[in-house]
Amino acid sequence: MDPLTEYHVQRTRRQFFGDAGLRFGGLALGWLMAGSGGRRLLADAAPGAAVDRVHPPLPGMPHFAPKAKSIIYLHMNGAPSQIDLWDHKPGLRAHFDKNLPDSIRMAQRLSTMTSGQDRFPVAPSKFEFRQHGRSGMWVSDVLPHTAKIVDEIALVRSVHTNAINHDPACTFVMTGSEVPGKASIGSWLAYGLGSESNDLPAFVVFTPSFPSSGNGQAIYSRMWGSGYLPTRYTGVALRGSGDPVLYLKNPPGVAAADRRDMLDALNDLNRRQHGVYGDPEIQTRISQYEMAFRMQSSVPELTDLSRESAATLEMYGADVKRTGSFTHSAIMARRLIERGVRVVQILHRGWDQHDNLPTALKNQCLDTDQAAAALVTDLKQRGLLDSTLVVWGGEFGRTVYSQGKLTPDNYGRDHHPRNFCMWMAGGGVKGGTVYGQTDDFSYNIVENPVHVNDVNATILHALGIDHRRFTFKSQGLDQKLTGVEEANVVKELLA
Amino acid sequence: MRFPLQFPERAVLAAALLLGGALSGAAADGVQFNRDIRPILSDQCFSCHGFDAKKRKAGLRLDVAESAHAANKDGRIAVKPGDLSGSELWARINTTDADDIMPPPDSHKTLAPEQKALLKRWIEQGAKYQRHWSFEVPVRGVPPSTGALHPIDRFIADRLGREGLALSPEADRRTLARRVSLDLTGLTPTPAEVDRFVDDPAPDAYERMVDRFLASPHYGERMARSWLDVARYADTHGLHLDNERQIWAYRDWVVSAFNRNLPFDRFTIDQLAGDLVAGATQDQLIATGFNRCNVSTSEGGSIDAEFIFRYAVDRASTTSQAWMGLTAGCAVCHDHKFDPISTREFYSLYAFFHSAADPAMDGNALLTPPIMKLPTADDSARLAELDSELVRVESGLLAKARTTPYADPAEANPRPPVKDLDSVWVDDDLPTGWKGDTSTGGTSRWVTREEGGQVKRGRRALRREDGGLAQDVFVSGAPMEIPTAPKLYAHVRLEAGKLPRAIMLQYRTDDWKHRMVWGDIDAIDWGAKGTGQRAHGGPLPEAGNWVRLEFDAAKVGLKPGDKITGIAFTQQGGVVHWDEAGVAGQIDPANDPSRSFVAWLKQQQGRDVGELPPDLRKVLKEVAATNRTPAQVTALREQFIARVCSDTRETFQPVIAEMDRVRKRRNELESQIPSTFVWKDLDKPRDSFVMTRGAYDKPGEKVSRGVPAALPPMKSEGTPTRLDLARWLVSPEHPLTARVAVNRLWLQFFGIGLVRTAEDFGSQGEPPSHPELLDWLSVEYRESGWDTKALVRLLVTSATYRQSSVVTPALLAKDPENRLLARGPRFRLDAEQLRDNALFVGGLAVLQMGGKGVRTYQPPNIWEPVGFVGSNTRDYRQDTGAALYRRSLYTFFKRTAPPPFMTTFDAPNREGLCARRERSNTPLQALQLMNDVQYFEAARGLAQRMLRQGGSTPAARVKFGYETVLGRPPSADELAVVLRSLDRGLARYRADKPAAEQAVTFGESKAASDLDVQELAAYTLTANLLLNLDETVTRN
Repeated sequence: MDPLTEYHVQRTRRQFFGDAGLRFGGLALGWLMAGSGGRRLLADAAPGAAVDRVHPPLPGMPHFAPKAKSIIYLHMNGAPSQIDLWDHKPGLRAHFDKNLPDSIRMAQRLSTMTSGQDRFPVAPSKFEFRQHGRSGMWVSDVLPHTAKIVDEIALVRSVHTNAINHDPACTFVMTGSEVPGKASIGSWLAYGLGSESNDLPAFVVFTPSFPSSGNGQAIYSRMWGSGYLPTRYTGVALRGSGDPVLYLKNPPGVAAADRRDMLDALNDLNRRQHGVYGDPEIQTRISQYEMAFRMQSSVPELTDLSRESAATLEMYGADVKRTGSFTHSAIMARRLIERGVRVVQILHRGWDQHDNLPTALKNQCLDTDQAAAALVTDLKQRGLLDSTLVVWGGEFGRTVYSQGKLTPDNYGRDHHPRNFCMWMAGGGVKGGTVYGQTDDFSYNIVENPVHVNDVNATILHALGIDHRRFTFKSQGLDQKLTGVEEANVVKELLA
Repeated sequence: MRFPLQFPERAVLAAALLLGGALSGAAADGVQFNRDIRPILSDQCFSCHGFDAKKRKAGLRLDVAESAHAANKDGRIAVKPGDLSGSELWARINTTDADDIMPPPDSHKTLAPEQKALLKRWIEQGAKYQRHWSFEVPVRGVPPSTGALHPIDRFIADRLGREGLALSPEADRRTLARRVSLDLTGLTPTPAEVDRFVDDPAPDAYERMVDRFLASPHYGERMARSWLDVARYADTHGLHLDNERQIWAYRDWVVSAFNRNLPFDRFTIDQLAGDLVAGATQDQLIATGFNRCNVSTSEGGSIDAEFIFRYAVDRASTTSQAWMGLTAGCAVCHDHKFDPISTREFYSLYAFFHSAADPAMDGNALLTPPIMKLPTADDSARLAELDSELVRVESGLLAKARTTPYADPAEANPRPPVKDLDSVWVDDDLPTGWKGDTSTGGTSRWVTREEGGQVKRGRRALRREDGGLAQDVFVSGAPMEIPTAPKLYAHVRLEAGKLPRAIMLQYRTDDWKHRMVWGDIDAIDWGAKGTGQRAHGGPLPEAGNWVRLEFDAAKVGLKPGDKITGIAFTQQGGVVHWDEAGVAGQIDPANDPSRSFVAWLKQQQGRDVGELPPDLRKVLKEVAATNRTPAQVTALREQFIARVCSDTRETFQPVIAEMDRVRKRRNELESQIPSTFVWKDLDKPRDSFVMTRGAYDKPGEKVSRGVPAALPPMKSEGTPTRLDLARWLVSPEHPLTARVAVNRLWLQFFGIGLVRTAEDFGSQGEPPSHPELLDWLSVEYRESGWDTKALVRLLVTSATYRQSSVVTPALLAKDPENRLLARGPRFRLDAEQLRDNALFVGGLAVLQMGGKGVRTYQPPNIWEPVGFVGSNTRDYRQDTGAALYRRSLYTFFKRTAPPPFMTTFDAPNREGLCARRERSNTPLQALQLMNDVQYFEAARGLAQRMLRQGGSTPAARVKFGYETVLGRPPSADELAVVLRSLDRGLARYRADKPAAEQAVTFGESKAASDLDVQELAAYTLTANLLLNLDETVTRN
């Protein structure tokens, strides 16, 4: 976007987490009184009600009719093993403990964790694979629940990335650049599409707990950071312990009524200040304090699961009420989407299985499989899946050869940027699709490669955005999520 | 002329400001290329018709006249001066033919009608080109005569006059005092300071107040806040583990540089090349930390070459952007599309920074070399004291050695026989000086025969029952030696039904890496399996009897002569009795280096024996046995008797122990002496290459150090150095440095830069709103000797700065962003100022300057959910006491999870340079200011001050609160509103004492015990109200 339009947007747009005051006297008061917004409420409202939204999309956005209105991105941090979960290679059994053929390895770059190994013994997956659903998609037995929703998902077996280590790869998959400083996909979407919720942030992030057997690589707040975009588009972390939103709770000894009293006086004094100075920023501040007050009740309502049916809770799994668990985050994701939040991101850690993979990977799946599948099913049951894109994936793949000692029961796998698996479901996705093909060793892509930038272009496309036209001027460049190289929407994944 | 609002997407903006001036200018004095045309071409055309040769289409450049005015091979001319119909450009932007239209549809760019109109007039008026404005050396023009005296006001008023506007009247004195105090010190003025100014009848009362603030040490803290964003300063490495790094001395240097008013040219030179200045001082070396502030990694699996490359790119780009406002980073991969920096030129800049001596992997270390120690005079004195203490103890030791009889068994006749040795280390008692430590918590106990306990030998044995991994450790005494043919042993007794999964014996030499496990080798997950770090002794011994466990010491990597300094009994669950552990073996005194001096000499010949004094170390290491002087041999013998010989060990142990204590104190002191990252070059510089498409592993053409050709040449003798580069930046011919620096200060004091894009002075940046003023100030700054305080004083003493910020709806509509400055600047305080001021008016602030970053209040789970398990900044351990109330500048800053009070208010995460912060206005900010313990505790502090110092009536107290926070008394209306609120609070807390008690105990500081709790709670809520006023959080 050019500076002129940017300026226009800043002046006229009332962002939930940005300036929301210019039209305070008129329309803004409307939403202050309106109570919870959200998709259901807006869907029932009269045409044109969207102008009442606290953070409408940028002018001209979306670029075309979107398939999905919102997105839930399940990021499996640390790099889940594609060979043990999705990329079925039955022929590997015959190669157990044999050296990976040079014709396959082709002297590719290795991480320095295994570049010193004197041999690269092939480690077939210890897990059985079976075909599921009408599509007959092959899924590993460690994902029994996801296996039941294969007809909803499009599996990409040929994603590849540039980076070979976690920090740069995570930064790349989320921001389109290995070097910190760019905007994350979530903040791009919040920036471009705004939000349909007037009470909740446009972009919400969870960083749940993970199994103790997991290798908990770090995550970085830049993965939901706004980079060069205005900071108000940063993802807001809904926290697993303490206040779900930072500083949501009044101090001890201060009740909601006390806060209301204080705010009445504050608004009164601030209005007088505005009367003197005429600075619209003062009106914005008044409205933001009111919004804060309303969040103090809307967020507890959001996190209150008491009205969820027993069947729903059971579908998600035993941890559903344990705040800070992946399962709890998953049901919260659905509740947020229901309330009109644009982007929900769950960053689950522990997938870096350099050793002890069979045990640790199983635990990772036990922690996430049921809830991830339940989330898709739950959205579908509520009629929200058509308009919600669900994405699952990590930052790169893992090697077919074992890192460290290989036994029939135990092995580890090093980083492998050359191919890995991701899946998408919901809004606009052609369920049951399997796209891309790797060689017999899941080491090289032989058909339909999909670069991480292509994945992001496809996500944007599903949300009605042409990634080539979605730019922001910074550092003298029209910055794009998908970078400077050509990126392509993978149309085959979309219905 | 103004365009009507008929193009909603591009809207008001064009008209109001950005081009607003330009357009009216264009109408008045003709189209100017830089002001009117270049922004259009840069945005719409340069990506295919600009500087980047690789992406250039049809060989046409529109950024230079030579190409734009020239005919192509078909004879067509893109831009024919004065001839619209002869200009291909005009035809192509107006055609309806989709194949011919420019910009082409797939570029997703379109020209607005007003842009076309400008291009039309430009061609008609002769299509004159100018160099990009910021590449022309600034010239000091004559400030327009407008009746104003101050040069800044003359430029501003002149422009306002042309817009039919005028400066606003001066703000009232109380507002001014608060404005300039916040701007210069970051703190609210005290009521006394405000009164002093209000009551000062002198005509230069304002200037004198400004001078007082400029002289305050808090001035440097305020100024450092902005520069540290530029320098990307933080207290962690930033990538992967994001461990702590120690470079706060650099932060303190920045504060001090501003306070000392270090001229900006020296400020530049010291940071970029302080190490190369002749006779560089400690301060100048600390300053070189600027380019050690970049993020770094030590992630396992990383490739060194990649990060050496990235660090150099970061340093070159940051330097370029910080001083020149040039976004050179684009040229890492391709010729800059918009600015004249070729990839080759970028790598020529990069070459200045490519030979840094720091390693590719930071080691996750607090101190990644090169570093510099920074002892205070006091530290140095105490070190000297401990050194002389060591000398004293050492000479006592040697005196004692001289009088201790010793006969070398190797020289005895007959030779002493070989003896069996069985040395018990742990039995009923421990060897001298040893002590037990149940390191995993205590369920172990000594059981005795008397109580019917199971004992192998002597009186008692150690019994432990545990559900998990448990360990008893014995350490700290004189080391015990491994003899010849050594077998280590211990006795254990297990109980049937309560078997452990595994038991383990573990030994310490320098570390604890010698382990022998019985039972399940995986049950105790320490050390590399199958090595001496985790050897397997076999299955668990039979239960119900004492069993001797014995093995060759070699199996756990121990050999004769090794010194054991610790032993541990470990079990995974179950019940284990332990007794009688030690070592068996043989001793041949004549060949035993711990008994025979001759044998020891033979063993140590050519080795570096660390425990000896340096001169003797050298003798042993370098002088052949036959060449030693008798004095050297005697000295070595004394050392042997004192330090080595096991027969005399008992005698010397106390003195050695004393020496160890002194040495430990010395080491502790030394480890407390801070260090800081500094810049150093490798002895042998690296060769630098153009990296093809920015790939670290694709070096192309070799480059040498140099600066972009579009800028003035750099002076150097021989190979250019960083010092040459730094001097070049601050040379009078340099067009950018002064402008960029002046603009950053303008931004700081006026809320928005004369060039809005403070980080980009290239053609994609915005041209200045007042170019002549920017140039005048730039020349003034340089010619003043880069006197920063003088420039700041110039800015804040202008009438422009001192205007009232009251805005009328008409002015707001005309100039919403206040670019024209017909009113005073008014904007929200920075994150740091908000917190500092709450603490300050609450009487909690601790204004101590400098030192290690402190860990203030932070909600749980800011660091933990993102931190890597092994990171030393994963678990947040909040400080206590004064550290909680230090100024925010000193808050520990972790890059991958910065403090929320900073990020909520738009602080950058310091991963890269930030030249200007956003100023957002969000509900999260409201929640924080209302509910964060830091702000609520400060509110209670303020309430206490109101009650104690504010007088006896509520009205007087509220008035005190207003004056403390805002520097002014409340109006009658305001007072009434606050008093009504206070009354409600009083009624509420009088009815609910427990709530009042809770409200006054939030935070670590204690509520004043002499105040009525209910009253204090009500005033706390009122103070919370005052701290949340728009006026409080705004610098007006």
